[in-house]
Amino acid sequence: MNRTLAVGAFALSGALTLSLSAPALANDADVIKRGSCTGASDWKLKASPENGRIEVEGEVDSNVNGQTWRWRLRHNGDLSARGVAVTKPPSGSFDVRRLMVNAPGTDRVVWRARNPQTGEVCRGSLRF
Amino acid sequence: MSATEGPTKTARPGRRRPVVQFVAVGLVLASALAVLTGWFSQRAAQDEAVQDAKSTTELLARAVVVPALPSGPALTSAAELDRFDRLIRRRLRGADVLRVKLWDASGTVLYSDEPRLIGQQFELADEQRRVLATGGTDAEVSDLSKSENVYERPLGRVLEVYTRVEGADGEPLMFELYYAYDDVAVRAGRVRGAFLPIAVGGILIFLVVTVPLVWLLARRLDEASSERERLLRAAAQASDAERRRIARDLHDGVVQDLAGTSFALSASARDVAGGTPLDRGRLRQGLEDAASGVRHSLRSLRSLLVEIYPPDLTGPSLPSALDDLLAPASANGVDVSVELADTSELSDAAAGLIWRTAQECVRNALRHADPRTVRLTLAIHHHLDAPALARLEIADDGTGFDAGQPSDSHHFGLRGLRDLATEAGGSLVVTSSPAAGTTVVLEVPA
Repeated sequence: MNRTLAVGAFALSGALTLSLSAPALANDADVIKRGSCTGASDWKLKASPENGRIEVEGEVDSNVNGQTWRWRLRHNGDLSARGVAVTKPPSGSFDVRRLMVNAPGTDRVVWRARNPQTGEVCRGSLRF
Repeated sequence: MSATEGPTKTARPGRRRPVVQFVAVGLVLASALAVLTGWFSQRAAQDEAVQDAKSTTELLARAVVVPALPSGPALTSAAELDRFDRLIRRRLRGADVLRVKLWDASGTVLYSDEPRLIGQQFELADEQRRVLATGGTDAEVSDLSKSENVYERPLGRVLEVYTRVEGADGEPLMFELYYAYDDVAVRAGRVRGAFLPIAVGGILIFLVVTVPLVWLLARRLDEASSERERLLRAAAQASDAERRRIARDLHDGVVQDLAGTSFALSASARDVAGGTPLDRGRLRQGLEDAASGVRHSLRSLRSLLVEIYPPDLTGPSLPSALDDLLAPASANGVDVSVELADTSELSDAAAGLIWRTAQECVRNALRHADPRTVRLTLAIHHHLDAPALARLEIADDGTGFDAGQPSDSHHFGLRGLRDLATEAGGSLVVTSSPAAGTTVVLEVPA
């Protein structure tokens, strides 16, 4: 029974995670993905066209102010940008915006953030 | 007077003409200078702007591009392009750069701030190949018809500057920047604005200063020309009148006398050849009359010769020359009185002018005034603090004339003498009125 409940809970959480990380179109050309981190935090990754480039916005919302996160953006598998950010009030979150060159074909963008104090990791990706 | 006013009035347009020509030439020169200054300013500003663009491009290439290039092959991944793009865009912000391109030797655009160009390949021009091969920097106005410049067409006229850089692995690359050509025009305008007032203003100031001087010079030349023309006309009229007078004198005097003598001699010859007894007394009287007529003709011819070609007049010879001059008047029954001071100290110029004045006055009196008396007085006035002054006065009791009326042709001689007296530092005054005779007074330095 407990095993059945555990499997059911896992399946439910997986379905929830899948539904949360499904693309949500704010603009016809925008691509947005959301998801949950390994802890209590959530992440968001958005890509939108910007004068022939791709404007990429990565966000982590932990509801805790003052947390330090190390973040990275990968573009087609290579490191495009990285840095350190601190969550700020009122929502205890941070976001990062970077422009990427729109390479020929489909571009794959990966967003990864890690809290070195708690070990929590957020990871998401999209294709544009 | 009317004879002297006429030429002055007609000469005014002639006086204006050289001034107008001078101003016109000056304005043409100023205009040409303005055009040349504009052209040279344009060239100088263009050269300066191009040189500045080259220096800026070389500086950005060394300070921004080379340090930003990744190690290994240049810009082969999307992430490298992202980092390079962000860096270049941040560093070139506010640098008046319209376009950035980074080429490899094959003509492939490795990077551009216009992402659609990245990865495209174009034919490189010879100058670009040379820069890639040998280094250096070159600049030219972009040929917007080329396919590589398709995205620059909306930018208008642009100046492209390219220089060679090397990737981390030593690969030769060409860094190219595009600038607005309007900056060159703006700079040319500034240079032209700085030099134009100096160049053109100098000419205009020169014109403003010199036009009054040219006007004055033209007026003096015009007046001198008018005076010369008047004197020439007077001289021609005087010469013509003189020839007529000589012809008339010869016809009325010597020719008539010689004709009479000829008739008398012919009559005497007929008496000698005739069959009648020879009346020696009558023959002698006829011959003496003929001799007297010939002597009279000789005197008349001598007086005429003196008038035509005056003797070399000096102070000492002036009294005898005046006697010869007055001889015809005496011969015509005019009562002539002469009162002369000592003329031995007179200068030749003064003696000549006195003789000519006397000649003109006596001639006018005999010809026009029908006088009974002619009185000639020559005095020398000595002053302690000034040069001696010779004063000639010739007065007749003839018909006279209205001295206030404009002069007719036979008074040109007096006008000419007045000019000569003025030039000699003296004066000539004519006093006359109808039926009251004429008095002419000449005063000249002795």
